[in-house]
Amino acid sequence: MIALTAIVERVQDCVVAAWVDIRTGNVLAQHPPRNDAFIAPALDAAIEVMRSRERPPRMVLLADRHVHIVQRTARDPNRVLVVICDRSPNLGLAVSIVRMQLEAVDA
Amino acid sequence: MAAATSNPPAAMAVLHALGRVPSDACGALVRKHPDGSVAGAMLVERGRVCWAMSQHYRRRLTDILVDEQDTLTHAQLTELFAMCRRERMPLGETLVARGLVSLPVLHRALLRHTCEALDHLVREEASPWSWVAHSGYGYHPMLTFSPAEVLTGVRAIANPALAARARARLRELVRGDDRGFAIERGAKIPLAQIHCETVELATLGDLAVHADEVMAVAATVDVRVALAQLGVLACASWVEHDVLFVLLCEGELAFNRLLAQVATMTIIP
Repeated sequence: MIALTAIVERVQDCVVAAWVDIRTGNVLAQHPPRNDAFIAPALDAAIEVMRSRERPPRMVLLADRHVHIVQRTARDPNRVLVVICDRSPNLGLAVSIVRMQLEAVDA
Repeated sequence: MAAATSNPPAAMAVLHALGRVPSDACGALVRKHPDGSVAGAMLVERGRVCWAMSQHYRRRLTDILVDEQDTLTHAQLTELFAMCRRERMPLGETLVARGLVSLPVLHRALLRHTCEALDHLVREEASPWSWVAHSGYGYHPMLTFSPAEVLTGVRAIANPALAARARARLRELVRGDDRGFAIERGAKIPLAQIHCETVELATLGDLAVHADEVMAVAATVDVRVALAQLGVLACASWVEHDVLFVLLCEGELAFNRLLAQVATMTIIP
């Protein structure tokens, strides 16, 4: 697993990054360890969305204030990276950075 | 020719009838009255719908053409129609060749006529569809319709105002060669589509089911738009007034292009 701290540092406006296991529904790791009211439901929603094997490996969910970048790893489809950022003009860059980080892991 | 609320099953009836026709077959799907007279028919050529007629659908193509293009008159069309019949010339091609209507207007008028006739035909108290094979009607491919076009047209008849709004919204948002469709949540047949004519209806249905499932979960955390990467295809979906909109974008950087577009889009709650 790539270090969540690296993602949080590199992705501008990142609020939280987490690894989740969609099979068990568990949050495996989260950084920073914030417990804002919206984070737990957002991670649960990401798990629920990706639980179906028919879902594509990468999804981006746009909320009014946040962006949820959700991506499976190629090595373990049950393991999903969730990155939640504030909505900002850097959205495309944030998505690209998360993708590149995961591609480096899967390479 | 407003239709009743039984229209969604009407579109499904057309879908089931077309599903029985082999993709390379030419012929007519015919329904008959109990007395043996023909209630109506749908002409099909290699997976495309050419024309439909119904005993209870009285509107003529010429009425629709005049309605669609106000520079045309009934007198002009009647004269041309008589000439085409006399000299065995195809009406549609002759209309276009003489510059009386453009191909898109003719296409739209023919599609409207076919969909309205089908909407009537499926309601007739008549026999199930029977297949009558034909060697081919020789319709110009531009003047025939994919199942997706026809079924979307039949579906839209049930709720023309909603379908018109959905179509207008898609026109605002679908760029270049991108594709888009709008479907009522839980429905199987779109209300409106742009550039999805050649996409299998089952594919559109699958995309809609997935998008709807995602949106149902995502809405619990105030997510308005979902984007997904499906190989070279990027897909964005959102819901407005209980209608699910799906935009499809293909090619290099499709995901990024679509992301940039929907990030600045205002969703109508």
